[in-house]
Amino acid sequence: MSGSKCTRLTGALVKPVLDSVDSVLFDCDGVIWRGDQAIPGASQVINLLKESGKKVFFVTNNSTKTRKMYVEKMTTMGLNATEEEVFGTAYCSAMYLKNECKLEGKKVYLIGSNAMKDELQAVGIQQTGVGADHISGKQVDWANVDLDPEVKAVVVGFDEHFSYMKLNRALQYLIRQGCLFVGTNRDTRLPLEGGKAVPGTGCLLQAVETAAQRQAQTVGKPNRYMFDCVASQFGLDPSRCLMVGDRLDTDIMLGSNCGLKTLLTLTGVSTVADTEAHQKSGCTERQGMVPDYYVESIADLLPALQG
Amino acid sequence: MAGAFGFKGCQKIRGPQIRNLLEAKDFILLDCDGVLWHGEKAVTGAATVVNSMIRNGKNVVFVTNNCTRPREKYVHKFSRLGFTDVMLEQIFSSSYCSALYLRDVVKITGQVFVMGCEALRTELQEAGVPCVEEAEDPDATIYNCALAPDVKAVLVGHDDKMTFLKLAKASCYLRDPDCLFLATDIDPWHPLSGGRILPGSGSLTAALEVSSGRKATVIGKPSRFMFECISSQFKGVDPAKCLMIGDRLETDMLFGSNCRLDTMLTLTGVSQTKDAEEYRDSELTTNHSFVPDYIVDSIADFLPAFDEQEEQSN
Repeated sequence: MSGSKCTRLTGALVKPVLDSVDSVLFDCDGVIWRGDQAIPGASQVINLLKESGKKVFFVTNNSTKTRKMYVEKMTTMGLNATEEEVFGTAYCSAMYLKNECKLEGKKVYLIGSNAMKDELQAVGIQQTGVGADHISGKQVDWANVDLDPEVKAVVVGFDEHFSYMKLNRALQYLIRQGCLFVGTNRDTRLPLEGGKAVPGTGCLLQAVETAAQRQAQTVGKPNRYMFDCVASQFGLDPSRCLMVGDRLDTDIMLGSNCGLKTLLTLTGVSTVADTEAHQKSGCTERQGMVPDYYVESIADLLPALQG
Repeated sequence: MAGAFGFKGCQKIRGPQIRNLLEAKDFILLDCDGVLWHGEKAVTGAATVVNSMIRNGKNVVFVTNNCTRPREKYVHKFSRLGFTDVMLEQIFSSSYCSALYLRDVVKITGQVFVMGCEALRTELQEAGVPCVEEAEDPDATIYNCALAPDVKAVLVGHDDKMTFLKLAKASCYLRDPDCLFLATDIDPWHPLSGGRILPGSGSLTAALEVSSGRKATVIGKPSRFMFECISSQFKGVDPAKCLMIGDRLETDMLFGSNCRLDTMLTLTGVSQTKDAEEYRDSELTTNHSFVPDYIVDSIADFLPAFDEQEEQSN
C-alpha cells in the first residue's frame, strides 16, 4: 500500500501499478457499464489485461443476474468473459447458503429474483416466495399466513415484486426458532438516468430487519465473503490483487478489508470530494474507504496496456 | 411522583396509592391497543375505569399510534366495547395528528404522497390536505411511470398495499430537499391478539430512510407532537398534572418522558416488568427515559380507587 493515498493514476504511474498485481477484480455497474451502456474503452481494457496475462474477475452486488446472464451481457459489449470469472451476489449467496449455512437439500423463503432462484437451484437449495405476492384478506389472516415448515432461512435480494405481504411472510418465518437470515447486500440505491432512483436491496433488507428486530448476515461487498469466494477458487494473493470500483463504501471498503490495492473510477457513484471527506475525517473505518488510486474512467488504463 | 431517590423506578402501585395519584392529576392520557382492548375484546374493567375517570371530572384523552382507523370509527369502537360518552375530540390518532401537522404546522400548499391505508388518506382529506391520487396501473414500473407534480410531502404509515413501485415513487419525491418526509409512527411491528405480530409503519419508514438518506419527522409517539396537539386543543394542560398510561416502553413511556409527564405501564400489552427493569438497570442514562414511574397489572387496578371514592361520597 502506498504511503500517500488517492493518487491520480495517469501516464507513467499506470504500468508499475499494473505490473505489481497478478489479478484485477472489477465491479460492474458504474465501472464497465452504466445500465445497458458500455463505458467507452472498458471492454478493450479488460480484454487487454487478460491478454497480458492478468487474471480478471467481476465482483458485483447486483443479485438480478445469474453468472450466465452476466457473460451474455458482457459478450454483447465485446468483453471476453467466462462464467467462472463472474461473482455476483446471486451466485455468492447460493454458495454461502450451501457452504456456510449447510442448506443444500433444504428450503429457503426468498425475496428476490428468478436469477437468485436459479443460482440456488444450481446448488440444490429450494425456494418459496419468488414472484408477485399481493395482499388479500384481513389482518388476522396475514398474521396466520401458511408457513412452509421446511423453510430454514429467509433470504433477501433485489425484488421488484417486494410488497407488504412479502415483508409479512419474511417476518413470520423469522420469528420462528432457528430461522437463519441472509441478505445479498446493503446498496441503498440503483441510480437511473432521468432523475429517478430505484431503491436498492438495502432498503428491502432494512424493512425486514426493522420488522423482525434482527440483523441479517450480508454476503455482498464490503463483506469480505465475496473476495474469499474468488480467492478460494483461484488461490489469489491479496497483495497482488487490484480492486477496481466506483463506490467507496462497497468496492474500496472490500479492497481495504481484504488487503488489496484499490482503484476508484469516477464513472459511477463516488467522487473525489467523497474520498477527501473520508480522508479528512479522523475515523479509522472511513480511512478504509479512501482508495490508493483513482482514474476518471478505466479507459485511462488503455495507453499503458497498448504501449 | 417520581421515585424517592430521584430516579424513576417501576413502582408497583395499588388501591389508595392510585387514588392519591388520580387526585393529583387533571389529564389522563391513555393508549388504546393493549391497554383498553385487544382487537375487539375490551380489557376486563377498562370501560368501567374510563367511564369513572370521566365521571370524576378527569380530562381523558386517547393517544394512539394506530393510523388504520379514522376517528369516527374509533368513536364507534369505543361505544361498541362499552366505553360510554367518548367523543371525537378526545381521540388523538397518529393519522389525525399527521393531518393537523400538514395543515397547521407546515401549512402545506402542494400535494402529499401517502404510503398508508385509506384511514390515513381520509383524515388528510377531511383536513383539506390534498393527496396524490394513485392510479391503478398494473403495468407501470418505476422506469415508465409518471410522477405527480408539486408533491411537497411524503407521509408514511401502515401500508398493507405497499409495493416496490410505491417505495420507488416515494424515493423519487424525496430527492427534492423541499419535499417533507413524515412518518405517522416508527413502531417496528404491531401486536395482534394471540401473540401474533405484523410489520409496522416503522419497517416501511426505515426502508425509505435508507433509499433517501434522510430521516423522517415522526408524528406519533414517542415524538412530542401529539402532546402539542392535545395542549393546543384543551385549555390548561399542565404536564405536571398529566399521567400517561400505556403498554409499550419504546413508544408510550418514552413519549411520556419526552413530554415531562408521569408515566404508568400496564402489563396487559407489549412490554413486561423485566423489560422495564432492564432499561432501569442499564448504564446508558438515555435508557432511563423508557422506564415507567408506575406499573399496574391492568387498567382494572384502578377500580378499587373509584369504589372507595364512591363509598366516601355516599
